[in-house]
Order: sequence, then C-alpha cells, then structure tokens
Amino acid sequence: MDATSEASFAEFVRSQWSDLVRAAIFLGAGPHEAEDIAQQTLVRCYASWQRVTDASNRDAYVYRMLLNQLRDIRRTRWWRSRVDAEADAHVDDASGQVVLADAVHQALDGLTKEQRDVVVLRYFVQLTEAQTAAALSIPPGTVKSRLSRALAALAGSHHLSELSEEHR
Amino acid sequence: MSDLEDSWDGLPTGTPPVGAIMAAGRAEAARRRKLRQTVVAVGATAAVVGAFVAGAAVGNRPTPSASRPHSDASPAAFQADLEPAQSCAELLESYQDRALELVTAYGWGREYDGYRLEESGTFDSRRMENLSSAKEYVPLSGQRSQSSSPTGTNVQENGVDEPDTVKTDGTLVVRLRGSDLVVYDASGPTMVKESTTHLKGLEDGQILLSGTTVVVIGTNASSPRDELTDRRRGSRVITLSVKQPDEPKVESTVTYASRVVAARQHGATVRLVLAAGLPMLDFLEPGGKVTEREALVANRRAVRETTIKDWLPAYDSGAGSKQLLDCTNVAVPDTGGLDTVSIVGFRGTDAAMPHAIGLAGATTIAYESADHLYLADAPSRWGCGGCRTARDIGGGTTHLYDFELDGVDAIHVASGEVEGRLADRWSLDEADDVLRVAVGPSSETGRFNSIVTFRREGKELTEIGRLDHLGKNEDLKAVRWFDNLAVLVTFRQVDPLYTVDLTDPAKPRLLGKLKIPGFSDYLHPLSDTWMLGVGRGARGAQIALFNTSDLKDVKRVAVETYRRSSAIAGSDPRAFTWLPKLDTALTVIRKGDRVRIAAITVSHGKLSSSLTNVEYGDDAAQVRTFGLPDGRVVLVTGEDVRFFTLP
Repeated sequence: MDATSEASFAEFVRSQWSDLVRAAIFLGAGPHEAEDIAQQTLVRCYASWQRVTDASNRDAYVYRMLLNQLRDIRRTRWWRSRVDAEADAHVDDASGQVVLADAVHQALDGLTKEQRDVVVLRYFVQLTEAQTAAALSIPPGTVKSRLSRALAALAGSHHLSELSEEHR
Repeated sequence: MSDLEDSWDGLPTGTPPVGAIMAAGRAEAARRRKLRQTVVAVGATAAVVGAFVAGAAVGNRPTPSASRPHSDASPAAFQADLEPAQSCAELLESYQDRALELVTAYGWGREYDGYRLEESGTFDSRRMENLSSAKEYVPLSGQRSQSSSPTGTNVQENGVDEPDTVKTDGTLVVRLRGSDLVVYDASGPTMVKESTTHLKGLEDGQILLSGTTVVVIGTNASSPRDELTDRRRGSRVITLSVKQPDEPKVESTVTYASRVVAARQHGATVRLVLAAGLPMLDFLEPGGKVTEREALVANRRAVRETTIKDWLPAYDSGAGSKQLLDCTNVAVPDTGGLDTVSIVGFRGTDAAMPHAIGLAGATTIAYESADHLYLADAPSRWGCGGCRTARDIGGGTTHLYDFELDGVDAIHVASGEVEGRLADRWSLDEADDVLRVAVGPSSETGRFNSIVTFRREGKELTEIGRLDHLGKNEDLKAVRWFDNLAVLVTFRQVDPLYTVDLTDPAKPRLLGKLKIPGFSDYLHPLSDTWMLGVGRGARGAQIALFNTSDLKDVKRVAVETYRRSSAIAGSDPRAFTWLPKLDTALTVIRKGDRVRIAAITVSHGKLSSSLTNVEYGDDAAQVRTFGLPDGRVVLVTGEDVRFFTLP
C-alpha cells in the first residue's frame, strides 16, 4: 500500500473506529472484546484494502467483515465471552462500560439475530438500506421489513421512544 | 432520544489504535504475499522436478527478512552520553554484538514489534500540534496566534517549514501529484497550468520550496522492499529549478539507502532524518531438514559475517554509490534499539553534497526547533502482544538526543531520558533553551499524563521540573505549546482541557481545567482571547471556540457539529487553514466518501459555518487550502488546483 492509500486508510480507521466498537457491543460483544474485534476487522481490511476501495461499497464491506469476525469468534471461542466478562469486571476503569454493555445486551435480547443485525447496521450505524443489504447479503426489501419488525419489537419494550427520528 | 441511542452515544470506545492496526495490517499483507509466493514456488518446483522437492522449497528457501528491533525494555538508569566510534572495526563490533542479541532462528526476531508507533515523519499522521520557536521571552499575556508558513503549510514550528504535497511562493503554486510535479501560475484571474514534469523512480513524495528551488523528497521506487513492513527501504531526493515555470529543470537526483523519518527546512537548508533499517541478510528458516538450532547457528554466523557496509547506508548523487557516514561520525548510544539513523543536511541548491552524521541506534520521533534537532526513540509496549493494544499503557524509558544545528551540519550536544512514552513529535517543544515534553501514561510513572521540563547541563539533558497527574486514566489527545503556557486535551470519559503555566520551567503549574463533552485533537490559537479546537464529539466532528482570556477559567463558548463526519485536521493539521484577514478557518471534513470544506467564521464569540462539497472518495487526504498574499484562497483537490470562493 502506498503512502496515499495508507493515509486514507488511517483516516478511515479514525472515522470508523467508534462506530465499529459500538456496533460490536450492540451485536453482543463485551467492551474489551469489541475493541479487539474492531481492531482485527480493520487489520483484515488493510490486507485487502485495494479490493475494498475498488468495491464501490466500503462501509458495507467493513461491516460484513465485522459480522464475519464476530461469527468466527463465537464459533471458535464461544467460551471466551464469560472469561472476558470476568476480566472486564476486574478492570476498574472499564466497569462502567461493562454495565452499559450489559444493559444494551438485555435491551436487544428480545430480537432475533437477524433483526438485531439489521437494527444495528441500519438504525445505529446508519448504513443506507442498500449498504445494509450488501453487508448482510439480503435483498433491500428484507432490510426494510426486518427493520420495521425489529423497531416495533423494541418500541414495545420501551427502549426506543422516538421511532420516526433518524428513520431515513 | 431513547435509552438505546443514549447508550450508543455514551459507550466510550477508546482511542483508535491506528498505529497498531496499520502495523499488523502490513505484517498480515506481507504474510499473505509470502504465502502466495511460497505456493507459487512450490507449484513451479513440483511441476518441473517432482513433488518430493516441495518440502525443501518451502522449508529451505533462505528468506531474508528484516524488522525493526525491539528497544531495550529496561534501559540503564544513567543518562546516555553519545561517543562517536573510534574506528570502523569498533563500530562494526558494536553493531554485531547488539545484532547477535536480536537474531533468532527466524531471522531478525519473529516477534516483530509491530505495535511500535512510528513517526514516518512527514508522511505520517499528526495527532498533536505545537507552536513556538521562542528565541525571545514573551510574557504569559504575549501574542498567541499561529499562521501558515510562507509556503502555505500549517506547520509545527514558526521558521521551520515542513514538506507537503503543495507549496506556494505567493505567485507560483507547485504541486506534486503522484510522480508528477505540476506548476501553476496563480497571479492571474484564473489558475494557469504552466508545466507538468514526470519524476521517474519516485513514490509517495512531498515537496519543499526554497526560492525557485523545489526539493522533492520521496521513496525510491527502485529500492528493495522490506520483507516484513513491505515498505521501500530507500529514498530519492530530486531538486528542480522552477525559475522558468513552464520548463522546470531537474538539477540533481540523490538516492539514499535509507527511508525518510522526517524532513525540515530552515531558510535554504534542508535537513533529513533517515533510518537505514536492519541489513537484509540471507537468513535460514527452520523447516524441512533444517532444525531450529541449525537455523540459529547459521543466522548468527550471517550476523558475524556482516561488514560495515551492511550497516552503514550508501547514497548516490549520480557519480556512483558512496558511503553516507564515516565510521568516526557515527555515535553508539548505550541503550535503545538497533538501527542506523542519519542526520543529513544540504542546501537546496547543492543537494548532491550532503553532510551527514549518524547514530547507531533506533529513533522514531524527530522534532526540530529553530536551532536544535531532538531525536527520541519509542520504548516498546509491554503487556500482551497483539491484543487490546488500545488500552495498553506505554512502558519503559524514552531516550532523547539533542543536536545543535549549524548550517547544514548537526552537532550532538546532549542526551537525556524520560520515563514513559512520547506520542509523537508534537509531544516535544523547545522554548528559551528549555525542552518541554508531554509524556503519556507509562508503567514507570502511572496512569496519567505528565509535562516534564529539561535543560542542557554539560552533555546532559537534565530534568528540571515536572507536573504529573494530568488526566488520570485518560489519553493525551492534543497539546499546544506556547512560550510559557501549554494547553493539553485528554480524552476518555469526560474530556478535559488543561492549561499549564510554564513561566518557571522548574515548576510547571496547573492553571485551569475545563471539562467538556467531546475532545479536540487539534488546537489552533487565533489570538490571546480565542482558540479553535477541531475534534470529535459523540455524534461526529466538532469545531469549538474557546475563550482563553482567563487561563484559569477557559470557556467553550460555541460549538459547530458535523454529524457522522470526521475532521481530517485532527490527524493532519495541514488540512486546516486559518485566514486571519477573513477571521475564517477552512478545514477538511469527511462524511463517508464525501469530502467537504467547512468554512468557519469567528465573529464576536460566535461561530458560523458552511460546507462545500469538493471531493469524493480516496483523495480526501490530498485536499488542501491556503491563502495567497492577495487574499485569494487556493483549493487543491485530487485532480485539480483552483481558486476557491468562500461561501
């Protein structure tokens, strides 16, 4: 990768970092784990950055990688979430994060995995409908229907009050 | 806003470990490439000779590899004091002794220290920015404002220019686009392209402008690549005269067998800090019939068989390859990592005659004041390798080397050390012969940031004062230095802005602390009263106006937010321009693939802002603006250089 691409990649990392970490937490990761996952996702993106740049849709690609990373971790290290949660609890400056992450996980607990993916990517990360569809390999129409069901479920559980706002 | 949205915004996400991701990404890319090569090699061999050779092809193929060394994690407690080598034999012995500690069965250590932040100097991101050359004493209430360098670049130090992809002398605009040097005439009503000169063999270049001489500094496209980092190991410096803008003339081309760590310009003098890297030796790797022990023995032998030419970089100004450093001009530090750093000086008009001295050690950070150059190394990170680097704290000791600048020559005058880790070159500043250093959390001090002051005493940089406990459990995001004031921003939960009185360098004193949501990673002083901060809030990029008239009680009086966007100036201050005549700041904002210029006008303590779309996609890092003496503003985008009308 030349310096120009490196600079643009570095900028990409800076601009995406927070959303990636938050998305990983919303998708079920612990705070520590989320940073690892975001980091690994971006490392993988680096190695295929040229390809990502060519593929007109970078955001969709990155979140697709994030979902893959989460899936891989769940598959190979399913036991780690408990270990991580314990480790997290011992780090004093992270305890607030752990509590917050737990609250998020509980709030999203009523959703199916499919609904959760859509609501995180479309509603919180604010990918477009087309990007969300590309990241999840589902038709745009399915994004729409899953999202409305997911939001309705969340509204029923009083975790989202203003459904109209942001709902582009 | 709902609970979940609050949670989304409220989740602290730490500092993006950009350096670690890039380093790991490079290593990963190199690993994949090597894997591909191996597969190809096996395929080819198998087809011709037979499958039984394949094992040997994988295992026995000598794989030269090189990486940057680990720095010494437990440096001696005494202050370093550089001694030049007495002879080439002595210098070679010191290289070999230290190399034998590094070499493994897999070459230069398999545990590549990829998490070391590296300042690739001019070509790197800048998280901090500072100011002040401070030859003269200015009282605390003194002038605090910053304008761009005469060539239109927003720089660290007044009087010390820095390379960029575009430069102006007020009439001509010179721009490096890839390997093409494009000259424009900006004196007429429209921008007129005068010439395009293709520079062969140059990659990733940047330029300096001295009179009518353009100095292009970049990577030598025909130099070998480092196996592990995939970066070219050589650099190329081309000087051109643009006396005739329609026909620039190449005056000299010099190649160095080192990469550029930093480049600066004082008047007509150009100074480069170069790093040679560890020599690429024909190392053996275990595998096949080669045992780990056999590989180690062979690799140690390869180190013992090195000659001084393997270690000292060469340069070529067209008359054949020459050794850049004399053995007796290379100092060997007592501690720190292994590398060869060259400090090269030349006049822009005489680039073929470089003066150079060397340091047989590794340094990654270079800061240049008006008359001194400071080099610092980066202690290696401890803790778990590869995991959770975002929250590791730095350990070890940073070594500081102080060089006095005398024309094209640099003279080593003192050394020192500071516990903890320097973020980058913006952590250093010299004023009134006092070196001030901002150090982040370290295993030696604790989980907080400190300001440490040094004075040269004999051959030592001696610590004379310090202020600790700035931002407990917080990361330093930005620091701006003034003659006797430092403004620091830290970040984690709440994002305080500190003001520190440096009037008495022996007693840095905390003046005030402002807690605000969102942080600034670039601070730009407008006057004694006003300062702009470019940074990030929970919802995106933000630009804040601070009232600094009372340093004990700094107030944030206005904020502009750009949702889901990021401000590039936070990582590269060259994407920020202050136009004093118009009381307007221009800064590059990125939202997804859209790149915009935000024009922020400051008036009576209020901000008003407007956005203009200027670019799309990958060229965001190339976008620049600067003002001409006649008040017009030039906008540089990926493809274009044109006048920009403020909205």
